Amino acid sequence: MNGEIVLPPIVRSRVDCGLRVVVAERPGIPLVAARLVLRGGSSLDPVRRHGLAHLVAAVGRRGTRRRTGAQIDELVESMGAELAVGVDEDASYLGLSTPVEHLARAIDVLADVAGGASFPAVELGRLRRRELASLQHDLDEPAVVADRALLGAAYDGHPYGHPAEGRVKDIAAIRRPDLVAFHERHYGTSSAILVVVGPVKAKEVEEQVQRRFAGWCREPVELPEIPEPTFPGRSVLIVDKPDLTQAQLRIASPGFARSNPEYHSGLVASAILGGAFTSRLVEAIRVNRGLSYGVRSRFASSRVGGMFFISSFTKVETAGELVQVALDETRRFCDDGPTAEELARTQSYLCGLHPLSLETHDQLAERLADLELHGLPHDEIATFRPKVRAVTAEACREVGRRHFPLEQGFVVAVGPSRPLARQLEHLGPVTVIPAKRIL
Amino acid sequence: MNGALETTNPLDLGRVVEATLPNGLRIRLLHEKTAPTISYCTVFQVGSRNERVGLTGISHLFEHMMFNGAAKYGPKQFDRVLESRGGHSNAYTSNDLTVYYEDFTAEALETVVDLESDRMRSLRIDDEALAQERDVVKEERRLRTENSIFGLMEEQLESLVFLAHPYRWPIIGWMEDIERIGRADCEAFFRTYYAPSNAAVYVVGDLDPAATLALVERHYGDIPAGPRPSAVPPGEPVQRGERRAVIRFPAQAPALLVGWRGPVGRSPDASALDVLQVCLTVGEASRLRRRLVQEEEIAVSVTISWGWRIDPGIFFAFVELPPGQDVRKVERILYEELEEVARRGVTAKELSRAKALLRSAVLHELSTHHGVAHALAQAEALVGDWREAGRPLEHYARVGAKDVKRVAAEYLDPARRSVVVLEPEGQP
Repeated sequence: MNGEIVLPPIVRSRVDCGLRVVVAERPGIPLVAARLVLRGGSSLDPVRRHGLAHLVAAVGRRGTRRRTGAQIDELVESMGAELAVGVDEDASYLGLSTPVEHLARAIDVLADVAGGASFPAVELGRLRRRELASLQHDLDEPAVVADRALLGAAYDGHPYGHPAEGRVKDIAAIRRPDLVAFHERHYGTSSAILVVVGPVKAKEVEEQVQRRFAGWCREPVELPEIPEPTFPGRSVLIVDKPDLTQAQLRIASPGFARSNPEYHSGLVASAILGGAFTSRLVEAIRVNRGLSYGVRSRFASSRVGGMFFISSFTKVETAGELVQVALDETRRFCDDGPTAEELARTQSYLCGLHPLSLETHDQLAERLADLELHGLPHDEIATFRPKVRAVTAEACREVGRRHFPLEQGFVVAVGPSRPLARQLEHLGPVTVIPAKRIL
Repeated sequence: MNGALETTNPLDLGRVVEATLPNGLRIRLLHEKTAPTISYCTVFQVGSRNERVGLTGISHLFEHMMFNGAAKYGPKQFDRVLESRGGHSNAYTSNDLTVYYEDFTAEALETVVDLESDRMRSLRIDDEALAQERDVVKEERRLRTENSIFGLMEEQLESLVFLAHPYRWPIIGWMEDIERIGRADCEAFFRTYYAPSNAAVYVVGDLDPAATLALVERHYGDIPAGPRPSAVPPGEPVQRGERRAVIRFPAQAPALLVGWRGPVGRSPDASALDVLQVCLTVGEASRLRRRLVQEEEIAVSVTISWGWRIDPGIFFAFVELPPGQDVRKVERILYEELEEVARRGVTAKELSRAKALLRSAVLHELSTHHGVAHALAQAEALVGDWREAGRPLEHYARVGAKDVKRVAAEYLDPARRSVVVLEPEGQP
């Protein structure tokens, strides 16, 4: 369990159109996973056009210069695949997983949809109406409301401060020329990455990529500099949902960027505090007090910054107690650090689970794509275990003191505002907003 | 694939080693060295179908109790020991089964066998732990049911589709029953349902089958067999007309849930319903997505769920509507589409698309040790034979367009449907 992970042969190349290609030649199950990554994502959304990157990706698959949306659906699904498109703050993604005999067609579809999107006006209208309705549905999902509110509170006014799905007012205002302009500026082969994993030969993949991507050679504009985010001080944001009997809770503080050298110590420290099932928060909140069914903590790290957050839920009457227990446990961790037993156990846990997170072709493709996106070396997969093993108790305490919610933490709560405000007001200035405001 | 389905067995089941100990514990082992990990899955043949009114939810509550310590590994030890050896565990309860699993680095196998056999032999059940888990389960119920639109609707639908069968109550149980379940109930439950004679162990991954079998025999061999659990009467009166319920709840938009009682999992019709499900709602080119979501724009999403069960389970369609949309129109078009399939069937192209998607789904499931262990476990527990885990592609290949048409007509009969409508109430 201490050894390095043996990876299949990984071949990297750059084809004529500038596209970077990463192929992992992995025998076994006869599926191939292909993932195309375009740098940028929702952080490129212009002001008052939040959700634009998301709509570009979603409408992009509804028609190209060569195929209608329905034809794309038929083609992809006849291969036994579903074309997934998604956007986060740093990138847009297109991916599919299909029996390996369809490799050439899979690459062709990715090239066609990413490079040849025609953004039919009818499809835009239809998707916009559906997206607006979906956003309304989000209001009925207390956890989604909490996560949207958390993002807005953490990164207020920053390019990371809105969900990729956008805002109602902005989505309603987006027009077809917005999509076309975004696509022209930001969808370029020379900054894109294609990762292919499966029982394939790199040479064969490269030949297909060379051929299928030839028609789409474009240099995107430089990615804008994104400033370091600044977080709010100790405060409480309550999203009023008067009918809930259970409050959704988030406690957050500033984290770090994905490429930060604190990454591994942060991973271990967060797992000890609230990551694993035997973590301090699970023990204090679920096992010892029965306050919640679940509690977790994690670092969410992006290209230029990140946050640390604890998430949980409990009946409205015990919201204040849960937050206090979480803050007390966090304080105790930062004062004393982990015990030797906790540290060793958590290191074994993370090291043991590591190969499980790379078991499928899709998982490995996603990991390789993320490393490329953040400019990290591929040996991060192979050296994960020694790096985790090298984390000390002092490093855990340090990373906790710098990033866990102590003085700088803020709280987001979703539920009936009056009882929640009464229980949380001692933690800092309270702001109450109606749930609709998060849209 | 030109419409033909590649049916080559993705699982070489010839290598499965099977054994049954004298105490009745069934063991199935498969050596797969694609990753240096092992998945260990223990199935107890008990779920909410084995419960009775007044003790609904005991299977699920008991699942929580299994993590509270036994004779050798005391309270809070199970996951600590497992994590310290590079693994993690979880469990779930369904209508038919309770399943515990561990995924871990191969070196930890002996520890896992020791942990699992310890709690099967000598689980501690005390009042304090029970009180704690009761609170946790109540929070789980608030999360998944009482503050969830789908959870509320599903609970209502089950009680419409089934009048007599225990599938009519929720797996998590009624809140009052969760309150009522006592230590004596748990002890009796453990003696009956958690005996090795009511269990099976599936181990898949980087292991030596002969050594693993010896290890399992050594650890479990002395656990006594239990009494034979009482049979569950499958009876359910014939439905002779549509059943309806309305839920009023603060929500942004209406929703619709329509369910029908399907066949048992071991019926050949179960595979045909899988194909029908894919034709109707899996993928953008599926009939209901195209019609309801894309063309008519009267739904934000539409999904069909059809899970194989021991007794006849539910085939249901869930439709989320845009705010202000008239539910009656959605119902009319939904039924129109279903009637069309029942009258005319599906095209060769639709059938081929569905089979390609099902083949990929099977390959995905079998691409991890965890997936293989669960496929073996589900096949044996629900269909009666673990070998069925390797046969879904053969079954799908045998499904023709006429079968899809026949099962649509037979099971989705309007007189046998149950309908739950969510009417938004006030403004949240």
